[in-house]
Formats: sequence, C-alpha cells, structure tokens
Amino acid sequence: MDRQVKAEGRRSFLKLAATGVPAAVAAMAAGTQAVAGVSVETEQALGLRKTEHVKKYLDSARF
Amino acid sequence: MSANASMQCPKSLMDEDVWRAQLYQLLGQLLTDPPTAELLTGLASLEGDDTEIGRATKTLAAVAGKVSAEDVEREYNALFIGLGRGEVLPYGSYYLTGFLNEKPLAALRQTLGSLGIARAEGVAEPEDHAGFLCQVMAGLITGSFQGGPASVAQQKAFFEAHMAPWMKLVFSDIERAESAVLYAPIGTLGRHLMDVEADAFRME
Repeated sequence: MDRQVKAEGRRSFLKLAATGVPAAVAAMAAGTQAVAGVSVETEQALGLRKTEHVKKYLDSARF
Repeated sequence: MSANASMQCPKSLMDEDVWRAQLYQLLGQLLTDPPTAELLTGLASLEGDDTEIGRATKTLAAVAGKVSAEDVEREYNALFIGLGRGEVLPYGSYYLTGFLNEKPLAALRQTLGSLGIARAEGVAEPEDHAGFLCQVMAGLITGSFQGGPASVAQQKAFFEAHMAPWMKLVFSDIERAESAVLYAPIGTLGRHLMDVEADAFRME
C-alpha cells in the first residue's frame, strides 16, 4: 500500500519533468540505432565521409 | 557500443519510462560518437517547453541548426579525445579516484557481469564511460538485455552505485568546457536528467 503510493508519486513526478521532452527526441533516439549500422553516410554530408574504414581509424585513435 | 541497447520499447512500458530510455539513449549516442549530419538535422528540429529539460532542448536545437557535422566532429575530438587527452575524461573511475581503470571500474564490471551485460565486440573503451552507462540505463529500462526490463529498484541500485556519484559532475564539466559548443546544451540536458532521476529514485 505504502509502496504503491510512493510509486505513484515517482510516476507523477517523472510525468511532470517529461513535459519538457518533445516527442521528436523519441523519433531521433530510435533513429540513432539505424544510423549506427549504415556504413556510408548520405551524399550531402560535408567533409570526411565516415565510411567503415574511417570509422575504424577514428575508433582506434581513442584510448 | 551502440548495438547493445536497441530501442524496441515494449508496449507495457509506462510513458515516463519510454522518454527516460529515449533520453538516455540519445545522450549515450552523443557521448559515444559525434552526431552525423542526419542526427544533427534531427536535433535542430527539437522543440521544448519551459521546464529545465525543455529549455536545454531548445538551446540544443538552436545550436544544432547553426553548426555542421564537421564542426561538431572537431568539437567532439577536442572535448573527448584531444592531443594526448581531451578536455573531459568521461570515465567513472577517473572522476571518483583521479585514475582510469581503478576500483570503481572493477565494481561496475562485477555489476554488469551479474546483469549479463558486456561491451559490444570491437569496443575497446572501459565500461565506465558516461555514454556506455547511459546506454546501459536505457537498456535496463526497456529490457533489451536478458531478463527483460529491470525493476525500478534494480534501476535505482544501478543508478546510485554507478552513475549518481559522478555523472552530474561530468555533465556540468561538459557544459562548461572551453571547446563545448553543441555539447554545452547536451551537458545541460544530461545534468538535468541526472537531477530528475536522483529525485525520482528518492521517491521510490
């Protein structure tokens, strides 16, 4: 019972904070997965093309 | 790293858990890699209301509309990679002990092991990277790891043990870093999420 009340409090609190999160974030967060699997980016991307090869290099440059 | 937290939200998830997972996933993505031109365009279209998170989102959208993917990649490198080291080292062990790969990482690895979570193949970074932890949290909420969605009590335990002690600080460091342009509002957004999460878990 007490637990239930607490859980309700948390949920309403989160709902209130969530009004600031636009639905677009949802769409995008879902999109990031797809992007991660694509090896070559769109044509209009400027600069260095992030091919799989370049990606590997950038990864190797990390520590 | 990104393959381990797929965002298939089961229908049984509460709305507030969905946005939490999505925000964690987005922050995880942005901390792990600079955004692509495509993601940048998406960020530029974000809107926000007058809550703290909403205002940070609006700033992020405004900045995202003014920078190129090339600029942001340079910014990301200066922030997190740098010559020798970046401006911010977003690792738990570093924040808690001043050194990389110390005890906090060992403790985290133990927890991850018990949850059945491992780094994706080819990922060399230690697991206490802020972006990795955001993705783990997203996965715990949506249940993309074995065992289905983690209970709020389990999420709380993970958050309090491995994120709360230092992640708000790393987000404010990103927010105030000299090279931060797009990452300044990203830092703000993360800092507010950490506050909201800490307060919400306290109610549980």
